[in-house]
Amino acid sequence: MIQITKKLTGKKYWRSLDQYYQTTEFQDWLNKEFPTQAQEMIDEPSRRNVLKLMAASFALGGLTACRRPVEHILPYSRGVENLIHGKPLFYNTVMSLGGSATGLTARTYEGRPTKIEGNPDHPASLGATRGYHQASVLSLYDPGRMPNVRGDGKDSDWNGFTSYVQTLSGSLGNGAGLRFLSEPMNSPSFTAVKKHALTRFPAAKWVEYSPIHTTATAQPVAPRIAFDKAAVVVALDSDFLGLDDTTVVAVKEFVRGGRKVTDENPLMNRLYAVEPQFSVTGAAADHRFRMKSSEIAGFAGALLSAVQSQELKVVGQGNSSADKALSAIAKDLAANRGKSVVVAGPRQSGAVHQIVHQINQALGNVGPVVTYLKPASDQTRPQLDALKELAGEMANGQVNTLVITAWNPAFNAPADLEFEANLKKVANVIYLAQDLDETAMASKWAIPAAHYLESWGDAVAFDGTASIQQPTIQPLHGGKTAAELVAFVSGYKDLKAYDIVRNHWLPVVGGEKAWKKALHDGVIRPAAAVAGSAAPVFDTATPAPPTGGYEVIFVPSWSVFDGRFVNNAWLQETPDPMTKLTWDNAALVSQATARKLAVAMGDVIAIERNGRKVEGAVMIQPGLADDTIVIPVGYGRTKVGQVGEGAGFNAYKIRTSDTFGYGGGFNVSKTGRVYPLARTQEFEYQEEPKLVGFQEDVVRPIVREGTIEEFKKNPHFATEMVEHPPLKSLYGDYDYSKGQQWAMAIDLNACVGCNACMVACVAENNIGVVGKEQVARGREMHWIRMDRYYTGPVDEPQVVTAPIPCMQCETAPCENVCPVAATVHSPEGLNDMVYNRCVGTRYCSNNCPYKVRRFNFLNWHINEAEVTKMVYNPEVTVRMRGVMEKCTYCVQRIQNAKIDAKVEGRRWLKDGEVTPACAQACPSDAIVFGNVNDLESRVAKMKVSPRNYGMLAELNTKPRTTYLAKLRNPNPELQPVTAAEEHHG
Amino acid sequence: MADLAIKDPHVTPVLVEGNPSLHEVTNDVAQIVEGINRNVPVQWYIALAITGSITLLLFAMLGYLVATGIGVWGNNQPVGWAWDITNFVFWIGIGHAGTLISAILFLFRQKWRTSINRFAEAMTLFAVACALIYPLFHTGRPWRAAYWLLPLPNTHLWVWPNFRSPLVWDVFAVSTYATVSALFWYVGLVPDLATMRDRATGLAQKIYGALSLGWRGSARHWRNYEMAYLILAGLSTPLVLSVHSVVSFDFATSVLPGWHTTIFPPYFVAGAIFSGFAMVVTLMVIARWAFQIEHLVTIKHLENMNKIMLATGTIVGYAYATEFFIAWYSGNPYERFVFINRAFGPYAWAYWTMISCNVISPQFFWFKKLRTSVAFMFVLSIFVNIGMWFERFVIIASSLHRDFLPSSWGYFVPTWVDILTFLGTFGLFLTLFLFFVRFLPMIAVSEVKGMMAHQQMHHDAHGHAAKDGAKTHDASPGLTPVTGGGH
Repeated sequence: MIQITKKLTGKKYWRSLDQYYQTTEFQDWLNKEFPTQAQEMIDEPSRRNVLKLMAASFALGGLTACRRPVEHILPYSRGVENLIHGKPLFYNTVMSLGGSATGLTARTYEGRPTKIEGNPDHPASLGATRGYHQASVLSLYDPGRMPNVRGDGKDSDWNGFTSYVQTLSGSLGNGAGLRFLSEPMNSPSFTAVKKHALTRFPAAKWVEYSPIHTTATAQPVAPRIAFDKAAVVVALDSDFLGLDDTTVVAVKEFVRGGRKVTDENPLMNRLYAVEPQFSVTGAAADHRFRMKSSEIAGFAGALLSAVQSQELKVVGQGNSSADKALSAIAKDLAANRGKSVVVAGPRQSGAVHQIVHQINQALGNVGPVVTYLKPASDQTRPQLDALKELAGEMANGQVNTLVITAWNPAFNAPADLEFEANLKKVANVIYLAQDLDETAMASKWAIPAAHYLESWGDAVAFDGTASIQQPTIQPLHGGKTAAELVAFVSGYKDLKAYDIVRNHWLPVVGGEKAWKKALHDGVIRPAAAVAGSAAPVFDTATPAPPTGGYEVIFVPSWSVFDGRFVNNAWLQETPDPMTKLTWDNAALVSQATARKLAVAMGDVIAIERNGRKVEGAVMIQPGLADDTIVIPVGYGRTKVGQVGEGAGFNAYKIRTSDTFGYGGGFNVSKTGRVYPLARTQEFEYQEEPKLVGFQEDVVRPIVREGTIEEFKKNPHFATEMVEHPPLKSLYGDYDYSKGQQWAMAIDLNACVGCNACMVACVAENNIGVVGKEQVARGREMHWIRMDRYYTGPVDEPQVVTAPIPCMQCETAPCENVCPVAATVHSPEGLNDMVYNRCVGTRYCSNNCPYKVRRFNFLNWHINEAEVTKMVYNPEVTVRMRGVMEKCTYCVQRIQNAKIDAKVEGRRWLKDGEVTPACAQACPSDAIVFGNVNDLESRVAKMKVSPRNYGMLAELNTKPRTTYLAKLRNPNPELQPVTAAEEHHG
Repeated sequence: MADLAIKDPHVTPVLVEGNPSLHEVTNDVAQIVEGINRNVPVQWYIALAITGSITLLLFAMLGYLVATGIGVWGNNQPVGWAWDITNFVFWIGIGHAGTLISAILFLFRQKWRTSINRFAEAMTLFAVACALIYPLFHTGRPWRAAYWLLPLPNTHLWVWPNFRSPLVWDVFAVSTYATVSALFWYVGLVPDLATMRDRATGLAQKIYGALSLGWRGSARHWRNYEMAYLILAGLSTPLVLSVHSVVSFDFATSVLPGWHTTIFPPYFVAGAIFSGFAMVVTLMVIARWAFQIEHLVTIKHLENMNKIMLATGTIVGYAYATEFFIAWYSGNPYERFVFINRAFGPYAWAYWTMISCNVISPQFFWFKKLRTSVAFMFVLSIFVNIGMWFERFVIIASSLHRDFLPSSWGYFVPTWVDILTFLGTFGLFLTLFLFFVRFLPMIAVSEVKGMMAHQQMHHDAHGHAAKDGAKTHDASPGLTPVTGGGH
């Protein structure tokens, strides 16, 4: 395994006793340039000799130029089991984010993890991942990671920390001044360590905090919603398909339950979204109503009384469309008793969650659809209460020692707790730091944290399934795990993470063999029982957030989550699915609010409440609730690595504990400054922009959409959207009826636009990161992009998303025009790109109607840290500047699968034997890849669906990537939604 | 075309004014090269210092480009081509006038061409030299593109260029055009080089002597010369039409709305002639003033060129209208949008600049007073050049920036490197010109003298037999060798 250390440490070997004692003879000998080989010149220097020497020196000097640079090779002194050079090894592991565990499979080459996939056996992954998981491997090689132990603001080492802890432990006593601050616990072995620590220090306290995932319950209980069992879903400010769940379970179940529409029996679930922001859940909704956060509670209450009253007609007979919608939603829910669900998002108060629970109870959904499970964490009180108490104790000087394993609380704790200032009042702050961040700077000791790919651990999924976090590489910077640090501080010297995990699990699983199986499978079966209370108690004590003025909503960021991925270039460059913004966050406002504030895109506004102020750029997003400002958190870090420097603004500065999810009473003013924002998609509509009066309204049939009723009436509605003359090819058609013909079908009805495919593609194909300035110039390199279009009225829009990879056209326009034949067609129907033949005329890109080709305008790897290069997939060339590149359908995977099949004596691959990175990561199984000549393959079956259409096929491109048209299932009572109708609960 | 030269067959135009002797004509032209009293005017050095510096700027920009990447320009997705190909087509277009004047007007027996053809041909060559920079340097890897686009046998890959690609057709079209134009120019120069040889001394004599290929002005020489010239004129004529037709195929054969149109070849050729003549007028107005050769390049010459600009400018305007009509008539929504977007979208400013300069401004040449005003035509020819640059920019950038999928739409903004590179090509163009006027006779002395003989003869005959006027025009200048050596 490869290890990077700052300086070579370890045993010193001596060559002789002379060296050992550093004798003068030895020093002399050492200082001679050629100790034994050359006689020293003892002649008196003469002109002749000098000239001879000079000539010889010149000759030798020239020879040295022939030498290759010295490189050190570290051979395996012992062979690694199962390792074949150049062949990857896969290890199952698990990653926790926001308190949720996702089982993963890490692909490693020669001890170097390069790619993350979902573990199909893991209940929270089922083979798919989020973009965060895909990008987490880049964070491992982040050059900005904490390189070494720091103590008292100076570089130190583990020994220094050891001696410090030795002196400290004497003064800890029963732990009266000792506090621990961790992320929400979902690690059984860490929980065991925690218990030991609290036994050793009975007066110590343990606080859990996550700036994103909070519970609204007053007791440890986690609602579990089986979306596949719900025919009607009402999401109240809940982004369950997006960031309100860091796993992919909800997406998987929601799509499986009612978005994978078959042709024979077209059935679809129905999703209503009522939300202030415009989330991907709102985009997937059949009906979406924008509503201020503070009005959600009222809406939920009205919905409750509607479903509780036996006579539904009593409610919702008002004139406003909101009433009508409410009544229709209530009727729809009532018609689906026991197979519907109402969900509320984490930003809503406990009271709202209680109402939602009552609605579900009234509808008989608790049990069939909603169950309450026991979460892994045993935190018994609302996390903010505990954190507030901790901050108070810190301010009062009651805390003497604080051990922080949570990520960067000085940055992400509520602003009113003044956490960073209070940290300075604690004498001994020990912080497990990913990088030298705000908290590390304010701590006495900062210990490098081990990445999950380099350390042992474990995590429990929502259903109780535990997984071992198996490392794939030695800690690059000697990092420690949270369990190791806590164990060390609480007196367990030299307890390694491996021992902690293994000692915990060996008795549980029952022996070495079962342990090995657990490591191999990535899951420990059977899962622990997690059944919780059927009557949860909600946190109704916490008052509802303040109202009035402008409401600010704090949402996690698709790129940086809570801020921890700020230095992750892959995520920073992946555009937000809805705003298409890269490298920054923005204050998102609706069009009406922007008009009211008299601001345009990029204008910097100041948002202020109770003397706390932050300034950030405005982005106008259609479909937001008015008088509402949506801000993704986590940006605006002050202490951060090179990548995240200067990205966005810090919304945590105005996020107080009473406005943790959202809050009103904010004042907004213009600053007059303008901040440039870099977006990957500037045009939001499929409608042609109206440039002149006589222009007809044309909606381009790109992402084609219909209702389920339209589909039932006319299954071919999508293909009939375009008429064109007979298509003829100038150069004749190639016979693609033989052999394996690769193709892709993308079900637009399943896609929720979560971007996992984009990040997976970046990771698999070594795609360059170009940075904000180049994104603004339109030079991003993504091989698969996520197109997002608004439809309908500008204030109440709907959204469609479509992943756009290369279409691998059979009659590819790019191929004709390449002067050097650098892009050519393979007999298996792939549009191949020959990098070393490409001269970079960019003609192919100009002639590509889909604009999926990407040009290396500059050398994107010029400033890359050495350590970051370890992330590259050795199967894929890293492209130089000046050449064109594009999606290959992951041709390296196809070739590997073909080699494997050939070894087994097969000529054809089985369906599913090869999966491109995008399809593998896709949480909604929207992307399906396979051989169209295999009529039994999933892709071939999708291609014969009447919903199947080729984007821009009227250009006679014969695209191999085709789409299944999107469907919506609107409530017949509620359509059509027109601009005139306003929806306010 | 013949009408352009002579409206009334009974009135002979005076193409050389002041009735100079043959020797005076030789002196007038040759002394520009030799310098007055063998002294090169200081203005020439000043001009060369300026244009030379700008040329060095071009080399610096190209060096920076090759060292850093195409990203130093403003090109992006979706605008893969921008100023690079705009400038390429612009310069190639300018290069059209020279060969047109030399070859087509020669075949049409337009004698007024003799005073301007050398100058225009030189302009062609220098414009093509500037144009050729772009197809090479716009590529991401010019060190490969320099020879991979040529059909060279190679052993390591055994791949040929893709003969389906219009860029490969370009390579053939432009290189053929450049070669034939250079040959044509050089062949036409041979008698005059001999004149220079005979007047020069020392090293200059040796160089001119080598270049004049042993020309002695014998009847046999003249016979061979005239035949070679005629053949080259015949060869060049289709090239004038083909090169810009092929360049237009770069666009016409693509699928991009706004490019994918059959009107492009004739429209591009007309535009090229238009811009080429405008550039000749711009430069000629300066040159005839600077070198005091107004009697050789007369208002009549300039007026004829203005008439051609009027004709081609109107053709170009008609083509713009046709494009719009077809975009509407075809019913293709993508095509229709591209044209609406051209006129009213983000690049509307470029479009209306183009329309004003190319369609509206040449219409002033309907008025004789304006088309014979040197100051007016100078300004207007610059407008036409600006307009024709914008035509190429509009076609390229406005079609690319908003094509099929709105998600990929973008906008192109040039960088300082784009701007300085383009400026640098003007530096190269003018530097080459300065060398040309300094070292080579910029007016085809032998041809002018041949034409003068006709004029003389005609003048003599005019008083007695005006009805013979048309007849003299049937005689080829080549059949009346007058002079070759130096006098």
